[in-house]
Amino acid sequence: MTEFIEKIGKASMNATATFRDILFFAFTILARIFQKKTYNSAMKMVLVNQIYFTSVQILPLFTVLSIILGSLLIGIVLQIIKNLGLAEYLGRILMGLVVTEISPFVTVLLVALRSSSAMNAEIAVMKVNKELRTLDTYNIDVIDYLFVPRIINGVVSVLLLSALFSILALTSGMIFSKLIFGMSFDVYTNVLLKSADIYDIDIYLIKCCIFGFFITLIPIRSGLSASDDLTSIPIAVLQGMVKVFIAIIFIEVLSLILISL
Amino acid sequence: MISLDAPLISNLDAWINVALIKQYHENLPNKKAKSLVLHFLERYGMEHIADKRNAALTNKERFIVMLLRAVMVRNALIVLDRPFMIIPDIQDDRFIYDSLQLISDSFKECHIFDYKWFEDRYGIMNAEKN
Repeated sequence: MTEFIEKIGKASMNATATFRDILFFAFTILARIFQKKTYNSAMKMVLVNQIYFTSVQILPLFTVLSIILGSLLIGIVLQIIKNLGLAEYLGRILMGLVVTEISPFVTVLLVALRSSSAMNAEIAVMKVNKELRTLDTYNIDVIDYLFVPRIINGVVSVLLLSALFSILALTSGMIFSKLIFGMSFDVYTNVLLKSADIYDIDIYLIKCCIFGFFITLIPIRSGLSASDDLTSIPIAVLQGMVKVFIAIIFIEVLSLILISL
Repeated sequence: MISLDAPLISNLDAWINVALIKQYHENLPNKKAKSLVLHFLERYGMEHIADKRNAALTNKERFIVMLLRAVMVRNALIVLDRPFMIIPDIQDDRFIYDSLQLISDSFKECHIFDYKWFEDRYGIMNAEKN
């Protein structure tokens, strides 16, 4: 029994230490993001490349997935609305569900699967290969040169891709509303526009920024935890990705609690 | 610092590895930085390696890229750490010496550190113990 309690205590202490460590790292990065000297020519080049890798290269796959997932979700939601006789709330439900909840969540999952894992492995490999030490030798701050552009890219990419997902899902909703409710495109657009609330947009923006920030920050921090040993790379990636998914769930639940208050 | 302990960044092209120093420390624009690196690579007749990555470079090409990266530092003091470990396929210091000569206008001093048993490769008989 004592052993069991000890285990719980140890796990809690580890979790607290990890949480504190990530928060401290987040504050360090945030401070650098708002410093003018961070934005030099080398950093800007990394930022542009990162946005290309994360937001542009993924576009074909992301567009197809958004259309399929968006259509599926909208189809189900509209069918439920019809069955429950909630047609008058159509716009509100679509804006609240698709824009503020589903699109950031689906986007962050896709970006985390594709880019967070790559970043985690990239940083771990650089650590093992002593490349981070090389940058240090040449007095290049790894936070300014490597981490800040990747994290800004995370925020920008999640924001843009999430907006694309919302647009594609709501567009497919146009077709479903025609099929299920016999609603014309004009009426559908009007319903959505009337339901659009600045509050929803605020929530959407804040949520995307927080998601984008943490799904890049955590893998980077985890990549840095790799030792000089090659075998530490998969361990760092595995631990990093687990932490990313815990963070996604944590942020999602926290946002739901805050919205409902 | 030219050493195996300060390798090239593997996910960057050779020219970016070199240009990075000027871009970061002097905020040199991308295009200017690239043309500067190409100008230096031309001295060695190696413009073709500009877009190659570390793994695709030969030992000599890797050494040149590392050397150019080192001279990008303002008032560079070059430290060559065991150069025969970077280019094990050469038998004497001629390639190292010639490489340094081609960019002698770009650095102030150069120091080479190597094992004592390589003294014959440098043509030195009474080398200091390492």
